[in-house]
Amino acid sequence: MHAILTWILWMPILGMLVVLIMPKEKEDAIRWLSLATTAFTFLLTIVLYLKFDQTVPGIQPAFAIKVPWIEQFHIYYSLGIDGISLPMTILTGLLFFICILSSWTIEKSVKSYFALLLLLESTVFGVFFSLDFFLFYVYWEVMLIPMFFLIGIWGGENREYAAVKFFLYTFFGSVLMLVGMVALYFVSGQGESSFDLLALAGGRWHETKMMLFGHQFDFDKIFFVMLFIGFAIKVPVFPFHTWLPHAHVQAPTAVSVILAGVLLKMGTYGFLRIAFPIFPQASIYFASMIAWLGIINVIYGALCAMAQTDVKKLIAYSSVSHMGFVMLGLSAMTIQGMNGAVLQMFNHGTSTAMMFLLVGILYERSHHRWIVKPDGTKGFGGLYTQLPKFSIIFIIAMFASMGLPGLSGFVSEALIFLGMYEKFTTITLIAAFGLLLGAAYLLWMFKRMFFGEVIEENKNYEDMNSREIFYMLPLCVAVILFGIYPAPLLNIMKASVGSLVTMLSSF
Amino acid sequence: MLSIYLNNVAFYVPELIVVATMCFVLIMEATYSNTETKRGYIYGIACLGLVATIINLIFNLNRESVSIFTNSIVIDPFSTLSKIMMVLATLGVVYLCSQSKDIYANLKTEFVAMTLGVLFGGMLLASANNMLTLYLGIETLSILSYVLASFKRNDDRSAEAGLKYALYGGVSAALMLFGMSHIYGVLGTIQFAELPAILKTLEGVNVFIILASFVVFFVGLGYKISCVPFHMWAPDVYEGSPIPVTTLFALVPKIAGIVAVVRVSMIFFKVDGVLQHGWVGLISVIAVLTMFVGNITAIGQRSFKRMLAYSSIAHAGNMLLGVVVMNEIGAEAILFYGFVYIFMTLVAFYVGSFVADTYGNDHFDRFAGLIKKHPLMALCLTAAMFSLAGLPPFSGFIAKFRILYVLAEKKYYTLAVLAGINSVISLFYYLKVVRLMILKDAENENKIEGFCYRNQAIIIALAVPILLWGVFWEQLVHLTTSSHMFTF
Repeated sequence: MHAILTWILWMPILGMLVVLIMPKEKEDAIRWLSLATTAFTFLLTIVLYLKFDQTVPGIQPAFAIKVPWIEQFHIYYSLGIDGISLPMTILTGLLFFICILSSWTIEKSVKSYFALLLLLESTVFGVFFSLDFFLFYVYWEVMLIPMFFLIGIWGGENREYAAVKFFLYTFFGSVLMLVGMVALYFVSGQGESSFDLLALAGGRWHETKMMLFGHQFDFDKIFFVMLFIGFAIKVPVFPFHTWLPHAHVQAPTAVSVILAGVLLKMGTYGFLRIAFPIFPQASIYFASMIAWLGIINVIYGALCAMAQTDVKKLIAYSSVSHMGFVMLGLSAMTIQGMNGAVLQMFNHGTSTAMMFLLVGILYERSHHRWIVKPDGTKGFGGLYTQLPKFSIIFIIAMFASMGLPGLSGFVSEALIFLGMYEKFTTITLIAAFGLLLGAAYLLWMFKRMFFGEVIEENKNYEDMNSREIFYMLPLCVAVILFGIYPAPLLNIMKASVGSLVTMLSSF
Repeated sequence: MLSIYLNNVAFYVPELIVVATMCFVLIMEATYSNTETKRGYIYGIACLGLVATIINLIFNLNRESVSIFTNSIVIDPFSTLSKIMMVLATLGVVYLCSQSKDIYANLKTEFVAMTLGVLFGGMLLASANNMLTLYLGIETLSILSYVLASFKRNDDRSAEAGLKYALYGGVSAALMLFGMSHIYGVLGTIQFAELPAILKTLEGVNVFIILASFVVFFVGLGYKISCVPFHMWAPDVYEGSPIPVTTLFALVPKIAGIVAVVRVSMIFFKVDGVLQHGWVGLISVIAVLTMFVGNITAIGQRSFKRMLAYSSIAHAGNMLLGVVVMNEIGAEAILFYGFVYIFMTLVAFYVGSFVADTYGNDHFDRFAGLIKKHPLMALCLTAAMFSLAGLPPFSGFIAKFRILYVLAEKKYYTLAVLAGINSVISLFYYLKVVRLMILKDAENENKIEGFCYRNQAIIIALAVPILLWGVFWEQLVHLTTSSHMFTF
């Protein structure tokens, strides 16, 4: 079983290499091969789920692997998985499989597109599996290269600007993280310097001081902030969110899905795996700041979403709002809050992926995404009567995203509220108002697009075809199933989240 | 006496091979009439000579360190490694010259001879063990460079480049000599080996005289590595010179200069005290300024060569950060950086040179749509650009990581963050090239003539270390690590 993580990690790369040596005229063969690769990878993540021991807190010894990479610098090829990374792994496997299906209609440079998508999948797994900070950083950065090209080549009109902005923003965050990483290496103790995330955890640097411009500072606070900025840009936490609407709107559908569904979670995952365990005291010290930033995300994201006339941009801002809830759950540092946050990471992944996919499907028919066109006329109207299947799935996605009881979003948001109520009562109340705003912008959008008179250009749209229904189904099942019965997910994360919260509350 | 000299010569074989090759090239040039065949022979001889030098240097690597020629030359792992770097770089430049159309065909043989001369100057500088040898090295390097810069005789900009270089070089060499004379006046010796002991006993006002004269002395070296504020000549000279010459300038004098700065710093400022603190402060400020000025100015450039000129200024700043820590690990990080830097720069200049040869200029727009015409070359240049910016999994990242590593060990966190921010700034202009190559459509369908199979194969071979050392860099770490790096 020790090799399974390596298999999952390298499977897409293997697929990519095969795609690269295929002649570029064989477009269908390339599509099917990519699909087979992602399907097999997804199956492997399911195997991982079945073999997962839910009682083990922290890293599962059955899957862990640690091989020296650069011995002189104590850098290891160290992979492992726990209850926090497993849901993300399954989500990644599922979303990439769906994305390959949804990319069937891509016509421009098919070969490079699928090769890059597969490379991206591999790097995302790398981030979620790495237990070595150096390895984590390498994957975190390498991920930017396929993303840059995917947005830059296959994106919308303003794609280059969006791609460069995304690249530079994230790179800025990462270099701060890099400095933090190297600094940690040297303070981690004489003779045992390492990048091992498990060995670094535990908050040993509470007492460490450092000199900066002739003043004394707490080492852990300064470097927590540096890691925080690195991860916050990825989440994105206000005020580092400005790259997101551009990247989302310009990216092709599948890449938006991956971006919102998985890549944003890498930021919050970074808090859970790196920033919190390594600097627990500083995390507690900054908890209320994180909560306030989270609430700004929730409200500001929702208000921005309400003002949008481009559906995709609206959903992009709704991601900002929803990731705010994750930040709130993290800042609570209670069992319920943390569980809620991890669950929200998964649920937002499924529901927002649905929304982006649906917008993509609509765009393939309409070739625009305006709710209200810039000239003031309606972009869509009365879609409900024209596209019944599409509308039903849209309703499921919308309500899941809104957090309607019975669908997945509700469970995680309820847990987050429960977890943070005692600690941040005011913030919880404001956050509840954020939920209301969420319902408002989604329903208003729905009303404008799906109800009312059918406008002329909407009349001859085809409803969803079987391929599209096929790839939407697993997500529909996920949002409904985990809305009614979230136990399978909660059970796998329980032990790991529990040990993290216990560790945090011991300071 | 003679036997000692002969014994010493045994250690000096690599340099002698370079000089012999240079002489041979000159004789060939004078004897044969000017034909294509002759040029082929000359390149063959030059390449053979350089390969022989590298092999010899690699054997020297395992020999014990010695000071030869009455202590004026030191052969230690540090100097040998830096010589290997310079010879590698020269080899790349010589081949590029044989393919380039930027130099008149009948001048190419002279180019080879002068390049070997520059290489010899660099090797002399790398193993200088007293002030005079250091000065000789710098001058050999410079005087030949002036000629090389103005190699395009009929081009105004090339002539301007040569003149500018000569004027700057002359002034800074004079300042350097002035500084040296003061140092000699205070310390009474020019031998590096005798200096540490004298410096330890130095006190009072003499400390400040030494520091001040060192600042003046540093001008000479600073101008060679084109660090701020002595960088003004670099962009114009780089732009005016033919591309193979620019490639040479970006590599050999830069590496030689950095290596000399490292050695000088390690000898003079090893002792903790006012002297060391002053020097560390000075170098840190210069390094940071160099990075910022280089990177920020590079953003506005539209000429590929000029952009690389500014970026090479920034890289010099980055390497200087390795000097700040004043220990062997810093020197090792610089050597590692140097090795990686050679390959990234060579790939960038090779691709840029062939593009410029086809279109007659190296404006950024000429790179548009390269991926459609020559996908492999575009990918190699992309790798080089990402690597120069310091992005994993390319070796440029490891090079920058090692610099950050030594900085963090000494707890220079601010410098580390500033170096990181510079990486971000540099990514912006490197991305411009990548963007044009891959995201934009080509201006026309014309293929680039220079990319024949052999040249493509060579560029790919140069690009392999960029990726390879980014993932498996332990071997290179071992190569650039030695338990007795320096001999004082």
